[in-house]
Amino acid sequence: MMLSDLSSDHEATGSSSHGGDIASYALSPLFLARAASATAPPQPEAARAAGAKRKRSQPGNPDPGAEVIALSPRTLVATNRFVCEICNKGFQRDQNLQLHRRGHNLPWKLRQRSLPSGAGSRQGDAAATPRKRVYVCPEPTCVHHDPARALGDLTGIKKHFSRKHGEKRWRCERCGKRYAVQSDWKAHVKGCGTREYCCDCGILFTRKDSLLTHRAFCDALAEESARLLAAAASNGSAITTTTNSSNGNGNGSSDLLFSSSFTAPLFLPLPNPPPPAAGAQQNPNAFYFLHQEQQQQLAPFLQPRMVQPSPYLDLHADAAAIATAGGGGIVADTAVSFGLAPDGSVALRGGHRRLTRDFLGVDGGGHQVEELQLPLYATAAAAAVPRAASCATDLTRQCLGERLPPVNETWSHNF
Amino acid sequence: MDEDFSSSSSSRQHFHSHGAAVQPPTSSVATAPTPPLSTSSTAAGAAHALFEPADLSFPPDLNLDFSSPASSSGGGAASSAAVGGGGGGRWASQLLLECARAVAARDSQRVQQLMWMLNELASPYGDVEQKLASYFLQGLFARLTASGPRTLRTLAAASDRNTSFDSTRRTALRFQELSPWSSFGHVAANGAILESFLEAAAASSEPQRFHILDLSNTFCTQWPTLLEALATRSADDTPHLSITTVVSAAPSAPTAAVQRVMREIGQRMEKFARLMGVPFSFRAVHHAGDLAELDLDALDLRDGGATTAVAVNCVNSLRGVVPGGARRRDAFTSSLRRLDPRVVTVVEEEADLVASDPDASEEGGDTEAAFLKVFGEGLRFFSAYMDSLEESFPKTSNERLALERGAGRAIVDLVSCPASESMERRETAAAWARRMRSAGFSPVAFSEDVADDVRSLLRRYREGWSMRDACLDDSAAGAGVFLAWKEQPLVWASAWRP
Repeated sequence: MMLSDLSSDHEATGSSSHGGDIASYALSPLFLARAASATAPPQPEAARAAGAKRKRSQPGNPDPGAEVIALSPRTLVATNRFVCEICNKGFQRDQNLQLHRRGHNLPWKLRQRSLPSGAGSRQGDAAATPRKRVYVCPEPTCVHHDPARALGDLTGIKKHFSRKHGEKRWRCERCGKRYAVQSDWKAHVKGCGTREYCCDCGILFTRKDSLLTHRAFCDALAEESARLLAAAASNGSAITTTTNSSNGNGNGSSDLLFSSSFTAPLFLPLPNPPPPAAGAQQNPNAFYFLHQEQQQQLAPFLQPRMVQPSPYLDLHADAAAIATAGGGGIVADTAVSFGLAPDGSVALRGGHRRLTRDFLGVDGGGHQVEELQLPLYATAAAAAVPRAASCATDLTRQCLGERLPPVNETWSHNF
Repeated sequence: MDEDFSSSSSSRQHFHSHGAAVQPPTSSVATAPTPPLSTSSTAAGAAHALFEPADLSFPPDLNLDFSSPASSSGGGAASSAAVGGGGGGRWASQLLLECARAVAARDSQRVQQLMWMLNELASPYGDVEQKLASYFLQGLFARLTASGPRTLRTLAAASDRNTSFDSTRRTALRFQELSPWSSFGHVAANGAILESFLEAAAASSEPQRFHILDLSNTFCTQWPTLLEALATRSADDTPHLSITTVVSAAPSAPTAAVQRVMREIGQRMEKFARLMGVPFSFRAVHHAGDLAELDLDALDLRDGGATTAVAVNCVNSLRGVVPGGARRRDAFTSSLRRLDPRVVTVVEEEADLVASDPDASEEGGDTEAAFLKVFGEGLRFFSAYMDSLEESFPKTSNERLALERGAGRAIVDLVSCPASESMERRETAAAWARRMRSAGFSPVAFSEDVADDVRSLLRRYREGWSMRDACLDDSAAGAGVFLAWKEQPLVWASAWRP
């Protein structure tokens, strides 16, 4: 499309000697015309309604007065478009090329965005005070093709285009996951394999698929869902009833959980088997997650559909609370999702995350056939849990006393 | 289960110590109505059941090498090491083959000698050679005493007593964690199924429903990863998935326990799908006996609607169709074709265990030549299987024992039960490919992504496993991929489309 090519040239030729100024001047009427049509008031609330999945606010709700730029796919994917004429070295950004030109003793000019305060004195060279630029995605089926949902950052639109509509050329050796953007890939490779996946029952896995398969059949899952169903059935008011059944700590804390007070979570992570490294981090992380409204599911690595499969979230969650899968993250998650559940399944999904799994693991820990995990498990049990949890575990021990022998039995079979 | 076996072995030891003078009570077993033995001339003269001390001398023509274990270089995987010093360390294969030959030749004296020797050396708790000796000896013994089906039932009942959801889950998951034997097929099949479903979804604008007909024996351990992939791949509108799992009761597999297990599995799968946010429904169908008798149309795979994309997943199940007259296996594949699925994934174990002409009359499967062929091939296959188990699992492992016993039941089935009732008669990939083609399917190559996934899967396991494409010169003609253990292809995975 000619317009986009023009606009790309506008971006590219900023450094040429005829000066971007002239080009921008000539183009400005076109831009104005374009932008005018695009400045129909964007409806951020419409966008939110469309996303009815309780995602956090959609990216791309631009300033209504912004200048909309549509770049061609070729432009978006091109790397190193700024080429030094002397040595043919390519650069991603014009600025970088300019700095490089200094080395060749060539004339160089750094284009700067005019500051708002300085704009008044330099009315002549840009169309107006340089307007904020937003970018639309050239892919017609994409949500960001609509100028009302344009993205505000050039790098952002480039990455978006590659990720969503591009070919995934980078692949992780360890797990085979594919990425279109190299930086995403690098970030993943750094963390892949070093990250441990933790099931609610306390067993740690190095591989995601092992976790998934285990999780599907884990006793922890079955019990939690059963309990949650029971709780849901007796509905909201049951929140305060502390049905301290023989499952002891389990129910108690889950009911605390369902009470909407966010202070409850503070207690909740504790009965959980704190992953070896993160024991002390429980509380800070609980707060961290409390602040996030729409939380993705427990294991950041499990991405249920309600979450945008956005790499941002991934990295975020991974960095923050990798190992606290069993801990803080769930808490707020559960609390929020239970309240906001648009449909039953979400509530269930949220609530299963249980903290009630005492570290002895109702069944989950009983058969420690995973010899790998055995030492970890032992330390988790030993390092167990501070404060309030200790009584919880004693209670659990009493109540579940009869279930302890299986642990020993299994060990004796194995050794 | 082991009772039958151990009582016979102890009786043999009695034979040895008491010499000629004593008539052990179980002697009748050895001379039981087995035509081959009773017609032997050498035994006819003496008291049939007794072992003369002279008979127990070390057979001079055997030159066994007990030196190094199976990892010796010269042996390779073939167990057809000739008498007189074949591959080092593979004494079990040599002895067993010799014994099988003697059984086929109806040479009862030699049979007794060899079986005595094997009995001395065998143990289900020893190293790979000892285990092989033990399980194959059990099979041979059952054959000689014509008690194959009975032995199998006893073993199955014993295993049934010990089976629970917990033990099954533990065994299956541990196996997948330590060996790519089953996960190989799962990953490849899931990849092919997912891609074909997503292709279907992209092609049509209306919401898709997917239905998977799962004919497998791996207790749905394949599906959690597929569910997760489905949930993450299509973030906004996850299509509805139904899975109908058909569990066929093999004579060698416990049945009542399996029903309990499947019930539990069904519940967990449903919960897991809720967790993943995938609309899901699950159904387990227990089918007694031969899969060929399963009425596929009655399963209502389309949920009454026409826009359901159907996939058929056959993992270790095609061999459950009893080979025999009337071209049953071909008929089965044709009935699969009639379902008009989008994709059929076939995962089978690579071994040529059908008799020479599986489509001929049923008696053809029981001739001596057929027996020898099946025996030899079974020996090769199960040696590799046990070897891989040995190397993957830790020294003492309940799970491995359970898997080995399962293999033992399959061995008894192969060696002593008639082919017309056997559900363990594997075929080679080439043979299955031929059947699929003749049923109207054409192979779908696994995409690069899926191949990469499989390769990275293999990298997570120990050394020794490799992946190989089916080459064009095999008559599998380029369909599917093989999982190989020490260069020997053992598991074959392929995808087919009408």
